[in-house]
Amino acid sequence: MTKYLLRRLLHGLVSVIAVVAIVMLMIYSFLDKETIFSGDGQLAKLQDNALTVYKYRQWEKYGYLDYVPYTDYLASLVKSGEIDSAKRDEAAKIGRTEDKDSETVAEYVAKFRESYTKKGYTVVRLDASVFKGKLLTGGAQQLFAYKNIPVLSRLWTYVTGIFEFDNIHYATGDVGKRGISFTFFDPAYGGKKFSPAIIGNGTKHKYLLYFDNKFPFIHQNLIKIHLGSSYSVNRDVDVFDTMTNAQGTLLKENTVYPTSLTEYSSDDLHTLTYSEGSLENGGEFAQARFTDDYTITTARRDGKSKIGYSFTIGIISVIMAYLLGVPLGVLMAKNKDKFFDKLGTIYIVFIIAVPSLAYIFLFKTIGGKMGLPTTFDVTAETALMYVLPIVSLALPSIAGLMKWMRRYMIDQSNADYVKFARSGGLSEGEIFRNHIMKNAAIPIVHGIPGSVLGSLVGAIITERVYVVPGAGNLLTKAINSFDNGVIVGVTLFYAVLSVVSIILGDILMSMVDPRISFSTKAR
Amino acid sequence: MENELIDLKEFNMSDEELFSHFDINQYESEKITAPRYSYWKSVFRVFFKKKINVFLLALLGFLVIFTYIYPLFSGYDEFEHVMTQGAKHLTPSEAMKTFGYNIHWILGSGDVGQSTFDALWNGAKISVTLAFICAAINMTIGVIIGAIWGFSKKVDMIMTEVYNILGNVPYVLLISVIVMIMSASFWSMVFALTVTGWLAIAYFIRTQVVIIRDREYNLASRCLGTSIFKIALRNILPFMTSVIVTLLATEIPSYISYEVFLSYIGMGLADMSLGKLIYAAESAMVTPGRQIEFWAPVAISAIIAVVLYVVGQNLGDASDPRTHM
Repeated sequence: MTKYLLRRLLHGLVSVIAVVAIVMLMIYSFLDKETIFSGDGQLAKLQDNALTVYKYRQWEKYGYLDYVPYTDYLASLVKSGEIDSAKRDEAAKIGRTEDKDSETVAEYVAKFRESYTKKGYTVVRLDASVFKGKLLTGGAQQLFAYKNIPVLSRLWTYVTGIFEFDNIHYATGDVGKRGISFTFFDPAYGGKKFSPAIIGNGTKHKYLLYFDNKFPFIHQNLIKIHLGSSYSVNRDVDVFDTMTNAQGTLLKENTVYPTSLTEYSSDDLHTLTYSEGSLENGGEFAQARFTDDYTITTARRDGKSKIGYSFTIGIISVIMAYLLGVPLGVLMAKNKDKFFDKLGTIYIVFIIAVPSLAYIFLFKTIGGKMGLPTTFDVTAETALMYVLPIVSLALPSIAGLMKWMRRYMIDQSNADYVKFARSGGLSEGEIFRNHIMKNAAIPIVHGIPGSVLGSLVGAIITERVYVVPGAGNLLTKAINSFDNGVIVGVTLFYAVLSVVSIILGDILMSMVDPRISFSTKAR
Repeated sequence: MENELIDLKEFNMSDEELFSHFDINQYESEKITAPRYSYWKSVFRVFFKKKINVFLLALLGFLVIFTYIYPLFSGYDEFEHVMTQGAKHLTPSEAMKTFGYNIHWILGSGDVGQSTFDALWNGAKISVTLAFICAAINMTIGVIIGAIWGFSKKVDMIMTEVYNILGNVPYVLLISVIVMIMSASFWSMVFALTVTGWLAIAYFIRTQVVIIRDREYNLASRCLGTSIFKIALRNILPFMTSVIVTLLATEIPSYISYEVFLSYIGMGLADMSLGKLIYAAESAMVTPGRQIEFWAPVAISAIIAVVLYVVGQNLGDASDPRTHM
């Protein structure tokens, strides 16, 4: 069993990586690079060479290519000690055209050209645009090298960068004794309240493991997941953080800073991260609060994260769907061809055939008439706001469950073992409960992990219609704004969830049905 | 056994009455006693036995006329009244007063003074055509590949991997990337919806084939030396007809639904399809007096989808030979 599962997991991992590779190929190789500028207001302000350079810079940011300006090359030479800064300044003054270069410049330009061509880069030199001896706007001469990143190396850097393990050698400056300590009394609560925590020194995060009053109560900063940073959807923030960070208004609490200064503030001390020299540069403000270079905090907010909203709505609707859909399907099978069955069939046909957008709006209108809130407001959350999104999500899945439960129940009731049980003298109720139900439930059980994990993903239409700040719209938003980092990150997240839920479904099914065994291949 | 013999004397008849001579009738022996059976005739007999199907078929015919023939005569031009004063966002009664009492204005006018009713059927034409073309392509490719997938164990291994990988690429992403590369035209949309759309159908057919493939009668057939091709065509395909028709019945409405969904999230066609109409009229839904602009395309897409679905389902039921008895 374990061996089988390991193989399945490995298989799943390979297909997840393949999915990411396909998506990367699609967005980085097939898509026209120019499309990312379609909504860029900056573009109209730039002209000539400056525009070209701006485009290459943007492409580097979006991850299309590696862009190295000549000045960066010279700076790297200074760093390696090959030339001094005076020489650099001299070499940096490239002429308006190539033949106007001074000797030193020509020497280093040639070196630059040679070393980057060798590495597979394309070196571009843009001559200055001059009109009557005067430089035009944005027409300054430019010299840079660029190289398209091949899919495989992009994939490799991405996959190897997904997990980041915090370690005590992270901090670059002098932090004193590096190490990890354990305390029963978390200093973030003033050091008096009992709350175990693991605190690192020299690590990126100060708090590596801690407890607080938010679900799931125990939190860690030891392993950080990077799904790729966002460019336009949520600038410079990692996709995983975009999905998991709390939203809403700032939540202020009495906070005890390391200098034992107490202030009514929204700083979440558990998110303290290291930044070299931040205590000194932060001036009086930082020195009044912090005692070391761990000064960067994230603000506490009162709302849930994107995934939090999606999951709350999703999980309740999943529970509702199973609690209602399964019994209703059973009832339909029991009353086959009678009134209830026909009523149920009409409902199922309605949900299957009518475009989902249409019935979600229908529910919204009906709900609105009944006085329920039809839009979601993060700043003034009430339980009633959850009702309509949950109902809109649950009703279609109820129809799906009804349809399949009815089908399986009817199929099973024609099986030989049912006739045998009947001939053995069992009552219809007993046959239904103990024989048919158990067998009919097996394929239904297989879908449970999928629907539970699926609620993490969120629902695109429902969230859009009811303005829920959930995770469902992240992908469409990213696609619309060409945010490649987010697209890849979200795809990876979806793929992992789907692979895991199929494996979990199989495990659950083998637990419910002892006849299914994964230890031997095909009996 | 002896006591079961019948005593002829019970009948109180003479021997002549009991035993009379009959000539051999050559013509009689040529007659086949089993009733004539034609598959498609039986399909239609079963289909039309339900009175609701006649009604639905009539409704379908009505919808087809409005979808394909009405736009030929309506002379719809979206920007016909764009410069006309007071032509925008009219309720049906206002529109009739402004433009005269005819069929074009029974649903009022939209945001550029266009007739909602005409726009509706123009959009329906695009959406329904898209759904039919996509369903035809996906079903053909899906059924053929699904059959091969189900039959060959080697192909099964490869295809299952392909399914696991391609099935995980978000559909929304795939479609939008294709639309971005190829422009949001009708045929690029068809391409986007079919490039991986057949996979799910092929997988479904594969599962069905696997179930029937190893039935005893097929094993026997194979033992007797029937070629795989003939088994597929003669032994398995008839079994699959009803499954395929049922599948088709769910596929066509699902493409209509999908087109509406894609347009709503802003990734759909450039043409004014039903989905695009719904998307464009979203703001009208919350504006009093203009709701009809939103609900009309929603209702039409729902009606078309439901009728196609129910007709298809009932045809699927009728095409199952087990219901012909």
